[in-house]
Amino acid sequence: MILQIIVDMVGLGATYALLTIGIALLFGILGLMNFAYGEIIMIGAFAMYLFKDYPWFVGAVAAVVFAVVISVLTERLAFRPLRNADPVTLMIASFAVSLALQSVMRMTVLPRTQGVPPQPFLTESMIVFGIRVTVLQIVTLVLCGVLLGGLALLMKKTPLGVQLRASAENFQVAKSLGVKGSFVIMSAFAIAGVMAAASGIILVARQGAVSAEMGLTPLLIGIVGAVVGGMSNLKGAALGGLLLGMGTVLLEATLPTDLIAFRDAFLYSAVMVVLVIRPQGLLSGTKVRTS
Amino acid sequence: MLLEINDLFVRYGKSVMALQGASLEVGEGELVSLIGQNGAGKSTLLKSIVGIAPVYSGSITYDGAAVTDKKFSVIKNRIAYVPEDRGVFSSLTVGENLRLGAVSRRDKGNIDGDIERELARFPILEEYWGRGASLLSGGEQQQLAIARALLLRPKLLLLDEPTLGLAPIIVDLIFDVIEQLRDEGVTILLVEQNAVRSIEVSNRSYVMQAPGKILGSGNANELAANDAVVDYLGFSPTGVKGDSE
Repeated sequence: MILQIIVDMVGLGATYALLTIGIALLFGILGLMNFAYGEIIMIGAFAMYLFKDYPWFVGAVAAVVFAVVISVLTERLAFRPLRNADPVTLMIASFAVSLALQSVMRMTVLPRTQGVPPQPFLTESMIVFGIRVTVLQIVTLVLCGVLLGGLALLMKKTPLGVQLRASAENFQVAKSLGVKGSFVIMSAFAIAGVMAAASGIILVARQGAVSAEMGLTPLLIGIVGAVVGGMSNLKGAALGGLLLGMGTVLLEATLPTDLIAFRDAFLYSAVMVVLVIRPQGLLSGTKVRTS
Repeated sequence: MLLEINDLFVRYGKSVMALQGASLEVGEGELVSLIGQNGAGKSTLLKSIVGIAPVYSGSITYDGAAVTDKKFSVIKNRIAYVPEDRGVFSSLTVGENLRLGAVSRRDKGNIDGDIERELARFPILEEYWGRGASLLSGGEQQQLAIARALLLRPKLLLLDEPTLGLAPIIVDLIFDVIEQLRDEGVTILLVEQNAVRSIEVSNRSYVMQAPGKILGSGNANELAANDAVVDYLGFSPTGVKGDSE
């Protein structure tokens, strides 16, 4: 029973960590709270719907391509012209992009919720170490593990990763050293697109449906997780997402039946307590010593 | 002259004029210092060269090209800038910080050799190579910031208050390095509050008074002959060992 809960906690936590990373990456580099991130997730999910009659990996690849292309296009067309604008202007622009994408999808290819039947193999389950796990849970864990591990490697071991980390900490100084600001920002949007696509793929597999509005909930989870962990700190953001997902499952498993309906009230009360104690987030980055 | 600044006005917002008609010249291979009290506009002048502070009027010419031209690239022209707060990335290791200094260089094959040279100049950086930069002291961070700037192989090095807030022994170390760089032929524009040491190591010095006006310039003897400069500094630089001797 406890093992089962732990597996469920890690599964949802890892999924939430994907959501928070995409949000925190762009916030760290651009100071952009990207409210259009939910729509990028939706675009990825839509690709799964569009290619639902093809083998599943075709839909998955299409989801990544769609999400990355749209993510990079939003940067090129909407955010780059506002590069030097203040954070409030950027945030309002991201609202506009979010609403525009949502409206265009609703008016054209996604006027109502569309079903995407789950791949039969994903619904199968098996007993591992005495606990029942579905293939979907395993795929989710592997996908999140590969993406988060891959991102950690990219950030730690590659020149692009070092430039991304430097830009996230101090974009002006990074640029003054010769870091190509536009390339770094575009890369960040592309990486956020990959994370959004993976989130979209997992969401479609769990919910079995796609709609123009489906990005809102994952967006809010991503923002809350990132704020809890520390907005400008990728490790912190991942931790925030992980804890939020794990907390959700833990409350669901342990709350008395009468109180399960109030799960989110308990969860977000805990979030508020965390923020009162550490308003900068759990991992806010170490301060530089001055002497 | 490598760098020529003429009648420069820099305005923040609509009313704050940080520089009022500052003029300054730096020749190739020269070490020129800009001294003055807090708020005089010294850092603003450096920022205007690298495009961080908005030029209101006047001109900045580098190697014959207008710095204020949109096409002018500070990096391509190998102007390295060490800001007052050092700009060290605390989330990166010492090694990662250092390598970032060479990020724009195309001669990748020569970078490792240059890093070796800077590690020999600043041995503490080799010792702390894999350590997080946030764990360095202020003096160590300043060494890292200067070493990183030198990895650009700068034609012009801009140093903004490199000894600010440092212990006397570290101040000595930083000035020793500045002298070493001067002797190697690196062109340096040094902004400092430590007037005596700056005049001592520089070929020429400019004295700036708030709001961004040059009171006088020259070597120690020339500055000593300028009453306005002596009044402002509160001492006569006559006894200061400088380029004049």
